[in-house]
Amino acid sequence: MNNMWGSMEQFSHIYWPWPIAIYLFLAGLSAGAIMIALLVKWNKHEDNTNSIWDAMVKAGAITGPIAISVGLLLLIVDLGKPLSFYWLMLKYNFVSVMTLGVLILCVYTPISFLFAMIIFEKEIENSKLLSFLSPITKFIRSFAHLAKYVEYILMILAICVAMYTGFLLSAIQKLPLWNTPILPLLFLVSGFSSGIAANILVGMAFFKGSLNKDSIKYLLVLDLRAIMFEIPVLIMLFLGLHFAGGQAAEAGVQAITHPTYGMMFWIGVVAIGIVSPIVIAATALKNHAYRPVYIVLNCFLILIGVVLLRFFIVYAGQICTGL
Amino acid sequence: MDSSRRNFLKGTAGIGTLAALEINLGANAADIINNGGDKSVFSFCEMCSSRCPIEAKIVDGKCKFIQGNKHYSTTGTSVCARGGAGVNQLYDKQRIVKPLIRVGERGSGKWRKASWEEALKYCADKLGEIAKTHGPESVVFTAKSSESHKQMTNFACSLGSPNIFSHWSCCPITYQVAFPHTFGGSLSRDYSKAKYIVNFGHNLFEGIDIKYTKKLAKTAAKEDTKLLVLEPRFSVVAAKADEWLPVKPGTDLAFVMALIHVWIRDSKYDKKFVEEYTIGIDEVKKAVKDTTPKWQEKITGIKSTDVERIADEIYKAAPKVIIDWGHKTTTTRAEYQRTRAIFIANALMGNIEKEGGLYFGKKAKTFNDLVGEELFPTLNDPNKAFKVPKTPRIDGAGEKGSKNYFIARKHGVLMDIAPAILNEKPYPVKAWVNTRFNHLINVVGEETTIKAIKKLDFILSVDIYMNDFTQFADVVLPESTYLERDESIQDKSGSLPAYYMRQKAIEPIGDTKNGYDIFRELARIMKIDQNYTWNTIDEFRMQQAKGNDKLLAALIKDGYVEWKVPKLYYREKKYVSKFVEKFPHASTFVDENGEMSSKVKFKTPSGKIELFSQQVEEALPGEGCIHPANMDVYDGHELCLMSGKTPIHTNGHTQNVKVLNDMMSESPIWINPRTAQKRGLKTGDRVLVENKFAKSYAKVMVTEGIREDSLFVYHGFGHISSGLKRTYGVGLNQSKLLNPAYGAVCSTMVTNVGVDIKKA
Amino acid sequence: MKKYVMIHDENLCIGCQACSVACRNENDTSDGVYRLQVHAEMKGVFPNLKTNFLRHSCVMCENAPCVEVCPTKASFQTDEGIVLLDESICVSCKYCVLACPYDARYVDPITKNIGKCTFCFTNRVAGGEQPACVTVCPTDALTFGDANDYNSEVSKVIATNSIKYPKSELGTKPKLGFVENKKGGRYE
Repeated sequence: MNNMWGSMEQFSHIYWPWPIAIYLFLAGLSAGAIMIALLVKWNKHEDNTNSIWDAMVKAGAITGPIAISVGLLLLIVDLGKPLSFYWLMLKYNFVSVMTLGVLILCVYTPISFLFAMIIFEKEIENSKLLSFLSPITKFIRSFAHLAKYVEYILMILAICVAMYTGFLLSAIQKLPLWNTPILPLLFLVSGFSSGIAANILVGMAFFKGSLNKDSIKYLLVLDLRAIMFEIPVLIMLFLGLHFAGGQAAEAGVQAITHPTYGMMFWIGVVAIGIVSPIVIAATALKNHAYRPVYIVLNCFLILIGVVLLRFFIVYAGQICTGL
Repeated sequence: MDSSRRNFLKGTAGIGTLAALEINLGANAADIINNGGDKSVFSFCEMCSSRCPIEAKIVDGKCKFIQGNKHYSTTGTSVCARGGAGVNQLYDKQRIVKPLIRVGERGSGKWRKASWEEALKYCADKLGEIAKTHGPESVVFTAKSSESHKQMTNFACSLGSPNIFSHWSCCPITYQVAFPHTFGGSLSRDYSKAKYIVNFGHNLFEGIDIKYTKKLAKTAAKEDTKLLVLEPRFSVVAAKADEWLPVKPGTDLAFVMALIHVWIRDSKYDKKFVEEYTIGIDEVKKAVKDTTPKWQEKITGIKSTDVERIADEIYKAAPKVIIDWGHKTTTTRAEYQRTRAIFIANALMGNIEKEGGLYFGKKAKTFNDLVGEELFPTLNDPNKAFKVPKTPRIDGAGEKGSKNYFIARKHGVLMDIAPAILNEKPYPVKAWVNTRFNHLINVVGEETTIKAIKKLDFILSVDIYMNDFTQFADVVLPESTYLERDESIQDKSGSLPAYYMRQKAIEPIGDTKNGYDIFRELARIMKIDQNYTWNTIDEFRMQQAKGNDKLLAALIKDGYVEWKVPKLYYREKKYVSKFVEKFPHASTFVDENGEMSSKVKFKTPSGKIELFSQQVEEALPGEGCIHPANMDVYDGHELCLMSGKTPIHTNGHTQNVKVLNDMMSESPIWINPRTAQKRGLKTGDRVLVENKFAKSYAKVMVTEGIREDSLFVYHGFGHISSGLKRTYGVGLNQSKLLNPAYGAVCSTMVTNVGVDIKKA
Repeated sequence: MKKYVMIHDENLCIGCQACSVACRNENDTSDGVYRLQVHAEMKGVFPNLKTNFLRHSCVMCENAPCVEVCPTKASFQTDEGIVLLDESICVSCKYCVLACPYDARYVDPITKNIGKCTFCFTNRVAGGEQPACVTVCPTDALTFGDANDYNSEVSKVIATNSIKYPKSELGTKPKLGFVENKKGGRYE
């Protein structure tokens, strides 16, 4: 029977397109950057002012709030009715992951800015441009004894943000690639690894400390671990689909064999985002004594891998449904 | 008081009064008569020729929604996709809403807008001049069916041209001819009560006529009934069948003759009925002597054992059986004999005037005769003064010695128009007047027709869209759509007396006019309107109703009026006694056996069902009795291209209606996977389809739903008019490829044709 | 409390799309999108074929994923169980479109609001009429009414047929049920 019921475009339309993929990437990156900043601050910061550690903290403190802000902007722009976005903050549905996300972000985003202001207290006061903010920093200063608690809360929120982006998708039962409990974990891990890469890049670019071989090595090894952890998580994702059988299994096969998104997965996510950093870590970085060019290359590859992972999940998830 | 009401008043003077009408209409008279505000108008549809009763809902003066007319219980509020889309046609920006006069070359689509006054004057001058110089018969007239056809016929008769054509010859002409030959008139099918229905691709589930579609769907869905469908394609009606036989295209006749053979061989038919009501059984016996199930197997592809089984099944279910003759019966040149064979098969099952079988439609007059008084209003026919001139027609329809002898002179044979123009035989044709028919999509030989069109001196087309034929006109007069037109009262009787009437739901959009007014005005300007006894449609209606205010008021209010009488089948005791109980006078017609056999009359020359027709035999020797010839539709090709109806579109008419075009914007050719593989074709491929008549391009769709030796396409695409912006140039027009040789006796256009197909 | 249910008898349905056109005109649906379509699915190998006519529209889940995921409660359920959309607080995040297991929602290309079948609740049913699709169906394949009223037409249809509910394994408890196609697929 030829089609006589009209366009079926609405059934295969990509309702969550690239801004959502980028948003998911930026949210993970923001959370990762904040997590690294806090981890470094808590573990390495005390006796090492103006070192790479300091640069890492600063990089995280600035990347975190900016990345999440840009991400949120994209999120709003992608709404069908962007100008009515405020309803998201006035009307709540506590069984909706999106509402929970909005609530988390409503706390996370200001606190990430607060954290930035604490970290950049001196810079703000010394800057001609930003000195008007000094009354605020002074005010924050007066609560200095609470700073540690703010950091703890921020850490928890960052983990929540990274994981919520996964839950946001996994709540969609209809799409097998999304509807998996692995997704929050995958997004947390890859968000973490992108946070390290982003912090190294931002730190090297704007807050040049001494390029201490040991410190960079510490971070890169940490990132390598995150990446290595991503491998079993990805395998679990597809094994999970495989063992779920039926539509889910079919969806998994469709996704990794899709002419566009299969390619994106194998070349972007696996080859660029996972294999090449491991190769670089195992070869170049070992032999070239952590030359900046390899560090930068390594970080970029990691970021590309992470952003393509989001694109792959978002698009293949909507297209490859196993039907 | 608006002008239409004033006219109404004028028209009713003397025979009925508006005041009386208003009393009859009751309190809402003003609402019903006046336009504006929210209301419902009850009318009937014109999106196809089925003419289902509708209710048009008007909100803030705009027609918003169409549904079936609840007053007509057979269809209730049902309406099909096309009917529902009437609203979208009404407000379509691509409609023609101003008279147009051609300025470019013919067919170039270049026009200038004109006033009605100028356009009508122009047409009157041209037609007058041509009629004077070459005789009125040099003007041919084509129309789609229904009232458009009547309006145009009146005008053609007034002008003096006998060359009047309807769409019949490319659609229902076979049964229109075979019915009078066999039964002396048409029969209706009682789908609701039938136990066994044999359907030869009468695709009521895609060519929708709701009153039939609804009943057939319900009967087909029942557990204790059987629907047998013979069709080369797995159509929707085949999908709903209890048994589907994918018969070879064009060979239904062989199957039916084999059925008849079995029944006669085994003496399994209603001998009493045949003896009492028919003549010619001996000729039939002779004709089917050799048409055995084995014989037909080689022709149809249906196993002989199946035929034996089916013959038995049907006989057991008789008389609650319907062997359906279909509607657009245009499958082979043997069409007349196919339909006759089906009629004979029905007669052998003795299902006439039986519940679950066939019955004569009964009108008010019939019921008045039965009940012995004028209980039910009857109508006048104000058109009866118009007579088709006795001068020779270009196709010889109705003329002794012509192969078209049996064709009604108001309907003609469309396929003969273009050759007559080109060959100037039997005489030159100079002008063509058309209303609402799209000859280029619906009739064989697009190229020949265009050549003929270009030879003419003058072409007038009345239309609502810039259809393909209309694009070649010199003057285009925009008709209002049915939702903007008041029309005459129509008889809607079937099993009870009923009338319905088309009414405008809103005032005409743009500068459009009712077809009644267009032809009436043209006749007035040309001073040939002596036979017109009315000026307006209101006057026409009042004459029809014989001044019966009550009837007219009821029709204005409800769009449909019926009188409850018990259903009556003359040969069913149960029904006869129920009827007599209510109307005792009818007892005078009841026989000893409790039936009304004296009422079972056949208006054939013999007064009986003519299984053999002497009059046909005399006029066209060899055709008086069924015979199995001319079934081939392949003409040496491996494949036969068939066409059919879709529920989304009507013939060539609705492809440009936005909503319908959105749902079905193209029509690929169906091809079996094995056939496609042999030719390296896959779904979506562009193909060249050709035979000795023409070649054309199309897309293919590979589907299991068709025989390996057949191709199928939904009819109505392949438009060449650039004025149909949404559908211009899309799809294949099958008519282009058809064989111009038409069927014997009934002169039907054959829409199955042999073709070759290859990747383009 | 009323429980509005619609039953689609696939044996009566002929896929003619009358419902779809009526729906568009009744609800002013924008071009290019559909609240309702009937899809014809031909299955099998010639000549053993079957064509199923499947109604594609909102199934009015009792446990509606679209309502669950909506962050602003713009997607909501009436007391009668009709899933509707409050356009004034919908931000068109499209989460519900993705969440609907029946692909019954779309984004209106003009208003950007989320569109879906409403059983014509506010414009027809609330005023005592039937939904537009039910009203026009040429073969009466659709029955609509209150399943809690044992005398309603729909209750009779439910009582006399085996009613299936689409993807019932999801636990969404649809109120659009169907009588499965029995015809086809067994020819000689």
